[in-house]
Amino acid sequence: MKPLSAALCTLVIFFLISSPSPVQAQTTAGAARSAAPFQYDIAREVTLTGTVSSVLTKAAPGMIAGSHLLIATPSGPVGASLGRFGLRGYGAVSVAIGQQIEATGVMRTIKDKPVFLVRTVKVGGEVYTIRNEHGVLLSPQARERAGQKTGQKWESL
Amino acid sequence: MKMNLSASTRFLGAIPLVAVALAFAFLTSCNSSNFNPAPELIAATSGTPQTAALNTAFAAPLVATVTMGGSPVSGVFVTFTAPATGASGTFASTSTNSETDTTNASGVATTSSTFTANGTIGAYTVTASVAGVTATTTFSLTNTSGPAASIAATSGSLQDATISTVFEAPLVATVLDANQNPVSGASVTFTAPPSSGASGTFNNGTATETDTTDASGMATSSPFTANANAGAYTVAATVAGLPPASFSLTNITGAVISITPTSGTPQSATVNAAFAAPLVATVMANGAPVSGATVTFEVPATGASGTFAGGVNTATTNASGVATSAAFTANGSVGTYTVTATVASGAEPASFILTNTAINYAFYLSGLEALNAGPNFYALAGSVSVDGNGNVLGGEQDYNDGFGLNSPEPSPDTILPGTAALTVDPTTGQGTLTLTTNNSSLGVDGVETLGVQFVNLNHALIMQFDGTATSSGSMDTQTLSSTLNDGNYAFTLSGVDSSYSAVVYGGVFSISGSGTTLAGTFDVDDTGAATAPTLDAPFTGTITGPDGFGRGSITSSALAIQLNYYVVGPETIRIIDVDNPNTGNGNDDSAIGSAFGQGTGTFSSASLGSSIFGVESNSLGSLYAAAGMFTTDGNGNLTTGIADDNEFDNGLIVPKATISGSYSITGNGYGSLTITAGDLGDVSVLGMYMTDPNLNLNDPNNTTSGLGGALLADLDGFTLNGTGVLTPQTDTSTGSFAGSYAFGAQAYNNPRGPTLGWEFDLVGQGTVGSLALNQATGLVSDPFFIFNTTPPDGTDTATFSGTAAPDPVNAGRYTMNLDMTLSGDPTYTTVIYQASGGQLFWLDEDKNGESVFLGPVQQQGSLTGLPAAQKGRAKTKSKKKQ
Repeated sequence: MKPLSAALCTLVIFFLISSPSPVQAQTTAGAARSAAPFQYDIAREVTLTGTVSSVLTKAAPGMIAGSHLLIATPSGPVGASLGRFGLRGYGAVSVAIGQQIEATGVMRTIKDKPVFLVRTVKVGGEVYTIRNEHGVLLSPQARERAGQKTGQKWESL
Repeated sequence: MKMNLSASTRFLGAIPLVAVALAFAFLTSCNSSNFNPAPELIAATSGTPQTAALNTAFAAPLVATVTMGGSPVSGVFVTFTAPATGASGTFASTSTNSETDTTNASGVATTSSTFTANGTIGAYTVTASVAGVTATTTFSLTNTSGPAASIAATSGSLQDATISTVFEAPLVATVLDANQNPVSGASVTFTAPPSSGASGTFNNGTATETDTTDASGMATSSPFTANANAGAYTVAATVAGLPPASFSLTNITGAVISITPTSGTPQSATVNAAFAAPLVATVMANGAPVSGATVTFEVPATGASGTFAGGVNTATTNASGVATSAAFTANGSVGTYTVTATVASGAEPASFILTNTAINYAFYLSGLEALNAGPNFYALAGSVSVDGNGNVLGGEQDYNDGFGLNSPEPSPDTILPGTAALTVDPTTGQGTLTLTTNNSSLGVDGVETLGVQFVNLNHALIMQFDGTATSSGSMDTQTLSSTLNDGNYAFTLSGVDSSYSAVVYGGVFSISGSGTTLAGTFDVDDTGAATAPTLDAPFTGTITGPDGFGRGSITSSALAIQLNYYVVGPETIRIIDVDNPNTGNGNDDSAIGSAFGQGTGTFSSASLGSSIFGVESNSLGSLYAAAGMFTTDGNGNLTTGIADDNEFDNGLIVPKATISGSYSITGNGYGSLTITAGDLGDVSVLGMYMTDPNLNLNDPNNTTSGLGGALLADLDGFTLNGTGVLTPQTDTSTGSFAGSYAFGAQAYNNPRGPTLGWEFDLVGQGTVGSLALNQATGLVSDPFFIFNTTPPDGTDTATFSGTAAPDPVNAGRYTMNLDMTLSGDPTYTTVIYQASGGQLFWLDEDKNGESVFLGPVQQQGSLTGLPAAQKGRAKTKSKKKQ
C-alpha cells in the first residue's frame, strides 16, 4: 500500500477524532433502522464558509465513497463529501488547499462519523453542483447535459 | 447506333424531318376524292428467324424497313427491343436489351451492333418500332445451348434385376454444354455389352438404342431387360465426340435386393448435438423383408458430417428388414449432407439428407465503458451465430452508452464471421468470445472480446473483457421464431435517462395482434425527474417482428424510449434502449433489461412463497446491492425474513437484518414488495412483477429447475434505484450446495484514482465441497485498473477460494470470506443466499466500505458438446497481488 499523503492523513485524523465512537466496520443499528436513512432533506440544508485545508481525491477505508474536502470553518473543521464525481470530469470542482469555499449541503452521520454531504459548492466565484435537490450525485455526463440545456458553462479539470 | 445524349438530341432535332417526310409521303399518296391516309409500315427484312448458343452473338444483324404508301422513308428512328427478362439478349452498343437505329435512303434500319444471346435458353421476339407509329414488327430469335460438352449417368445405375426380367428403372443420361446448360435435342446412344455375356436389351430387342435429350438435357432409355446371363456389366451412354457415361447393372439369379430410407431423413440438429431420430433403412428382396442383413452407414469424411455413438456405423436388419443406426451426432460444421446406407448386394444405396445447424446465442450486458471519454454507462445486446468449432458465422448487436456512442440505429452493428472466435476450456466452460463488428468505434478497433463462463450448454455468464469496457450479463441459446408470442410478460430495465441520471423501469404488459402490439402498466424511478417514483402508469406500443437473428423493435410513446429486443425463446426477450440523437424522439439515453413471459394463469398473493432476492444499482446509479430471503403467509405478509444491504455510495452497510413487510400482487402479476422502512437501510419499496412459474429467470432455457419468481425494481426514489430478481427458495440444505459452480459478479469498488472508473467484473468456476470453494479460477475485467497489477490491456485472471459458513439460525444464508488473488483487500466479506443447490446469489458487503458486488452462483450442468474451439485451462496468478 502506498504511503498516505499528508492530506489524506489530515482528513483521516479528522475523521478519527470527530467520531463519537470508535470507527466501526458496520453501521450502527440505529442508523440502519432509520426509515430511508440516506434520504436528502433540502429543508435541512446549511451553508458553510471556510478555507480548504485538505483535498482527498478518493476515499480512505472507513470513509464514504468518493472525494472529500476538509474545510476549516469558524466552528471547527468539517469533512465534506463531494461524492464519486465531485472532482472528476466535466464540471468538476476546481479547488486547492487554502482557497475560500462556500458549501451548501446537509450534515449527516455516516459510519458513525459526521459528514457534510455537499450539494453545491462555490469556490473562486464559480458555483459547482455536486448533487441535485434530491441529493442524487450528478455525474459529469449529467452536468454536461444540464449545461447543454441551460447554456451554463462548467469548469472542468 | 448508340442512343446516348447526343443521339437523343439528334432524335429530337429529327422530328421535323420525319414529320416532313411522312407528311410528304402522305400528301403524295392522297387525292381529293379519297382522303384515307396511307399506312405507315415497318417490316422485318432480315435477321429472323435466327438461333445462337447461349452467351454468343447472333450471326446476322436485325434489319427492318420503314415505308409509307409503299415508299421508303429515310431518317426514321427504329428501336429494336428484346425482352427484359427470361431468354433474351443484349445489344453491344448499349449493353442493354434495346438499340435505336436510323433508316437509310431505302428506309432500311440495321442494328449497328451485335446482338448477343443471354444465358437463358428459349425462343423470344425482338420488336422493332418507330416512335409515334403503332405498327411494329418482330424478329424471332432463339437462344440455344452450346454444343454438348459432357454426358453423365443421372439415374438407373447400380440396379439389380433377375435374369430375363426388366430392370425397375430406365437408364437416364444428362447432356450439358460447356457452361453446364442442358443440351436439348442431342442424340444419346445407349450400348450394352454383347449378349454372349451378361447384358440386356432395350424395347427394340437389341443392345443398342438411341434417344434424344429433352429440354432438361435428359435422354431416357426404354425399359431395359436383363438377358439370361448372370453377372455385372456396364451400359455406356454416348454422344458423339464425348467420353461415355456408364451405368452399372447386374443380372442376378436370386432375388433383387433394395435398400430404402425408412425414417430419419430429412432432419436437422444443431452442431455437436445428437439428431432426434436414428437413421432407419429397410432392406427388401423381391418385395420381402431381408432379416440379418448388414447395413453400413457412411458419412462424409470432411465438412458437415457426424458420428455414430460408439463409432458403430453398421446395423443389422430385423425380421422386418429394418436396420436402425446408433444415435447419430452432428459434428461442428454447419451444412447439409448425405449419409448413405448400403448393403453388400450392391443395391443402390439409400440416402439420408441431414443438416447441421448453427447455434445462435442472444447476449446482453451492461456496465461501465472506458471508451468515449468514459467512464460512461453502456448497454450491449445482440445475437451471434456460431458453429460447433467456435467459428462465428455472423450476428448483429445494438450498443448504446447514451452519450453518443451507439450502433447506427435503426440498423444494428454487424458481427462479422470469425474463425475460432469462441474459445473455451471444455472442462471448466471458461473462455472468451471475440466479436468482430463493423463498428470501429467499439471495442478495440471494432473487436469486442467477451469473457464467458458456461453454466451449461445453453447458458453462460459473460462480461466484456477487452479493456475498453467492463460489464456483466448473460448469453443464452436462442429459439428463433418469426413473431413474438402473444401473451403476458413482466419486464424491468435499468439505465440512464436523457439527463444521464439513473433510471429503472418495471412493469407488466400483454402482447397481442400476433406479436404486433402491446399494452400494460409500468413503474419508473428516475433520479433525474422532479419526482420519483411514478407508479402504475399505463402504456401501449407497437412491435416489429424479429429478424433472422431474433432482433425487433418496440415503440411506445408513454415509455418515451425506443427499444430493440432479441429473442431468447418463446417467453424470454432481452430488451435494450437504443435512443440516441438520431432516433428522432429527442432522447439520448440508455437502458437494458429483460421481459419474461407470465404463463397462462393469473396471480394472487398465494403466488409468492419462500423466496430469495437480489437487487443492485446500475453502474451510474447510487451504487449499492442487497440480497435476502423471506417467507410469506401467502396472504400479503412477510412472516420471516433476513437480508443484507451494502449501500456503497451512501456509506451504509446493513448486515444480517431481520426484515418484515408486506406485498401485493394483482391478477396480471403486477405487484409490490414493501420491506418495512428502516429494516434494510434505504431498501424498502420494490416493484414486483411475477413471471411464469415454469420459467427459470436466471437460465431461461432451463425448464426443469429453479423455476418461477419475479422481476424486481427498487423504487426507493432518490435514495436508491436498481433492478433484480426474486427466486423461489426450494432447498436450503447445505448438502445441496455442492458440486461444480459457475459464478459472476458486477463489482463496484473505490476507484484507484480520481479519473478512473469504479467497476470491475468477474466470471469464474470452481468446485464446492464441504462448503469450501476449491480450485476456482476466473477472469477479471479491470479496464479502470482498480487492482495495481492489472496488465495494461485491462484484463486478468484470478483464483478464488473461501469456505461458506452456514448461518446457524437462517438456513439458506451463508457468509464467506472470499479470497481473490488480485485483490488489494485481503478478502471480500460475502453473504450467500441459497434458493436451491442450483441457484444462489452472493453479495459483497465489504466491511471497509471499499466495494460492493452482487452476482449469481449457479451449479454447472453438462458441458459436453460446447460449441467452441478448445483451449487449455486458464493460467492464473499464483501470488496475491497488492
